Amino acid sequence: MSSPLAHLAELLGSETVATLEKLQAEVAADRSRLAVFFPGLPRRTGRDHVGKGHIELGAGTIELAGFRRCDLAAAWLLLATAATAEELRDLMAHGDLEERAMLLRAAHVLPITEVTIEFLGEAQRTNVVLHVEAAVCDGDLVARAVGRPDFPATDANKLILKYGFLDLPLARAIGLEELANAELTRMLQDLATEREAAGRAVWCDTWRLIGRAPAPGTVARLIGGLEHGDDGVRAAAVDGLLALGRDDLRPFATERLEREPRPEIRELLQRLAGS
Amino acid sequence: MLIFEPHIHMFSRITDDYEQLALAGVRAVLEPAFWLGQSRTNVGSFVDYFETLLGWERHRAQQFGIHHFSTMGLNPREANDDRVNDDVMAILPRYCEKDSVVGVGEIGLDDQTKKEEKYMLAQLELAKAHDLPVLIHTPHRDKKRGFERCIDIVRDSNIPMERVLLDHGNEETIKITRDLGCWSGFSIYPNTKMDPHRMVSIVQEYGIERMIINSAADWGVSDPMMVPRTVVKLEQAGVPRADIERLVWDHPTSFFGQSGRLDLDALQQPASANLRDTFEGNSVLRGQDPDRM
Repeated sequence: MSSPLAHLAELLGSETVATLEKLQAEVAADRSRLAVFFPGLPRRTGRDHVGKGHIELGAGTIELAGFRRCDLAAAWLLLATAATAEELRDLMAHGDLEERAMLLRAAHVLPITEVTIEFLGEAQRTNVVLHVEAAVCDGDLVARAVGRPDFPATDANKLILKYGFLDLPLARAIGLEELANAELTRMLQDLATEREAAGRAVWCDTWRLIGRAPAPGTVARLIGGLEHGDDGVRAAAVDGLLALGRDDLRPFATERLEREPRPEIRELLQRLAGS
Repeated sequence: MLIFEPHIHMFSRITDDYEQLALAGVRAVLEPAFWLGQSRTNVGSFVDYFETLLGWERHRAQQFGIHHFSTMGLNPREANDDRVNDDVMAILPRYCEKDSVVGVGEIGLDDQTKKEEKYMLAQLELAKAHDLPVLIHTPHRDKKRGFERCIDIVRDSNIPMERVLLDHGNEETIKITRDLGCWSGFSIYPNTKMDPHRMVSIVQEYGIERMIINSAADWGVSDPMMVPRTVVKLEQAGVPRADIERLVWDHPTSFFGQSGRLDLDALQQPASANLRDTFEGNSVLRGQDPDRM
């Protein structure tokens, strides 16, 4: 397996790497240049994408479609210059919208340290959806970070709740559904109840996650989800019930099957009814 | 008709303004760093202000599909303040490298003091060093003389005139600037500076060459819709639509495009914060829509 730096170079191509090597040399001569070069990476290396599909990069897995060329270039530059914790903190503290997104994307590739956890904390507090997306989507950073002494499951739960609060798609967060736990289910169900009381939409991936770690009220919510008017909610409810794996709930799937208009949901219901 | 609003202080405006701008066809806004209505006491306040323009304000704009750009600078009023002037000059180079910074400004003269002149000249050098065009605030009092002094300082700096926008112009200043080779800005206000009807008269008399109109809307009595309103007045007065489009889109994008940091193709599409939408058209994040939050 190639090193992350070599893998990034392969993805970026020789022209971009040549540009980055010049920047690296200047940073080696004067560390303060890192803060000058970093914001210019989008215009120097581009915002286009280099491909799509899940790839292993460094210690993690990323979905390449979520990483722009400048995000990969940022990871390359930070690795190649061996950016220190203080330098990373400085870039985040004084970074513009794009810089912070690049830093959070690069965090998927860099080794996980206490600075990574600080960045995840930033993502949890921010209202900038771009930054939550950069930290959580298209990679397994959160799944890999959870369990560290400075990032216990209770902190991960808050970040996942924020993710749902912003209505971001679970499918784009690699490994996030494996972090399901009963306390997270309670938090998600409370949020759902609050939204329903207000007549507002509920994060449809709620049904998917709670089925993987039930808490009081989960079964009723999942069964109710089978009759929901939103296709996404019904699909997630069936998915949640499949994960729950309760044989005694099969009749609900059978009963719904006849009336389900969506073929893809019918397929899931058939699996549930026959499981 | 797409509009590039080239001078507006959205920091002081509410999200309703963004929505109205978007509905009126404003695709991009430029927010010059300026005075906040009262003096700041330390450089840290500037740091936070600059970073709000480059971060949170861009996010707010993106939520309504509006691209947000900035110019960075030490404004002339606070150039007089020794608590902050040198410290702000020391931090500006870092901000001039930010990707959404497409110029240096607002710099210029206000009270027309020696300190204002000193920092204006220093920032013209900063613009040259970072290869950025310059947005110049001209005085509201003793305007004609202040305009002429600004031009003298620009000449002293040897910055090319086509990279200079002299803003807050009026019927008197256009007579000075029209043949200089610089760009002439007009800030259209409900009561002061310039109004839509007067702007129509100026266009009818002088044409639109190297002219830029803006609302300069801020924390005072001002109207962020002044560019769209003026577009309507110009059209009603019989100004050809093609000329109006040049005035409100081609001119500001040409001027600030001199930074090399404006992607005109990207501006044809509404702004979006989604990291994947340029790659896969169907992956728009639900959470970036204010209607859903």
